[in-house]
Amino acid sequence: MQPIHFYAACAVAAAALYALMRPKGRSVRAGATVLGFAAIAWLLATVAGSLPGPSGRFALIGLAAFVGLSGAVRLITHPKPIYAALYFVLVIVSSAVLYVLLDADFVAFSMVIVYAGAILITYMFVLMLAQQASMEAGVTGEPEYDRLPREPATAAVAGFVLLAVLGTASMRGAETPDSARTEWNAVESRWSDLESMPKLLLERAKALNPQVQSVVAGADGQSLSVRSDGSAVVMVLVTGDETPQPLTLPPEALPENSRTLGLALVGKFPASLELAAVILLMAMLGAVVLARRQGDLAEDERRGIAGLSRLVDGGEERSR
Amino acid sequence: MSAALLAFQGSALPELPETLRAAPSGEIAAALLISAMLLAVGVVGFLSRRNMIIMFLCTELMFQGAALAMVAFSRHHMDVSGQVFVIFILTVAAAEAALALGLVVLLHRRRETLSADAWGDLGE
Repeated sequence: MQPIHFYAACAVAAAALYALMRPKGRSVRAGATVLGFAAIAWLLATVAGSLPGPSGRFALIGLAAFVGLSGAVRLITHPKPIYAALYFVLVIVSSAVLYVLLDADFVAFSMVIVYAGAILITYMFVLMLAQQASMEAGVTGEPEYDRLPREPATAAVAGFVLLAVLGTASMRGAETPDSARTEWNAVESRWSDLESMPKLLLERAKALNPQVQSVVAGADGQSLSVRSDGSAVVMVLVTGDETPQPLTLPPEALPENSRTLGLALVGKFPASLELAAVILLMAMLGAVVLARRQGDLAEDERRGIAGLSRLVDGGEERSR
Repeated sequence: MSAALLAFQGSALPELPETLRAAPSGEIAAALLISAMLLAVGVVGFLSRRNMIIMFLCTELMFQGAALAMVAFSRHHMDVSGQVFVIFILTVAAAEAALALGLVVLLHRRRETLSADAWGDLGE
């Protein structure tokens, strides 16, 4: 890809985003949208040069890119926060399509469940809480801080300079590793994953031959020996026969994405898993402390109105 | 280097399922570009919006970009460690959403506005 095309497309995208951020007429908005789509297509075309041709997979990637990026742009330009939160769901769903295309099934589903399901509901809850308060106060229409952006030109330039820098970095590092070697390493590590899951190994052997009774480990403690065509041979005991027999497992018998991911999570990164648990616990404690402080203040105000003594000294000063 | 690798001598492996094949480099490059653009749009939104909740939503957009890059590199090297990192990103994002939104509710109660500018005097 030619760097000059990439930088030009970045500049066009920045201009389109700047035009979309300013509250202007319908025609300006439509023109900027077309310009933005053209910029996205141009950027994608600069990296698509190494592809053999327009395949179905790449069409799907392009569709997910268009939907996701236009959702993202609409998120930062929409004057109503509720719609911005809903556009974020669009971004999540289209990036989940990309995760599935990149063979990360578990990540795709957990993104949809955790982000679109849980985190977005929290955002919607807070937004509606705030909106209800302003409706009770008699404020109608979007407030000024939602309609007018703060320094859109500086922000657009900063964002797309960042994009240009990231693009340059990934262009520099475009040296691909030996793909046959990567494939072989992946096959070997997946088979060793299956090796460390004896129950699954027996299950996979039974699926091939229902009479398999148990799996026999060799003299070196290994049950599997990987063959050069990507399959593996396992020694099994068949019912009614005491001598071990070889059974060839095809690559389809390898563990799926979620099993491999789970094994890596608890096998390779146990300390990080514990750390994540501590982070979640701390977040829960923090949320409880924040919520309790609010409850105390509200309670204090009610007591003050009723003419009773305050529970917390200086609660009024803290709340104002 | 194992004996089987020596035997196979660099020729492509036959009959592997799609998930064990190296991904076309164009697909990885496209995914990396999309992740960089999500990050850039998130940065633009964070700098230009004045609503505190939308600003936090923009950080989630930046997390999305980072997660997509992780998954793309994980596919490129055919190693699941990148996807494990995405799970940690999810954890941090969930913790951040819980705490940040609690704080936003607290701030909204005090000044009756979601504008970040209302708290500009903190920096003076």
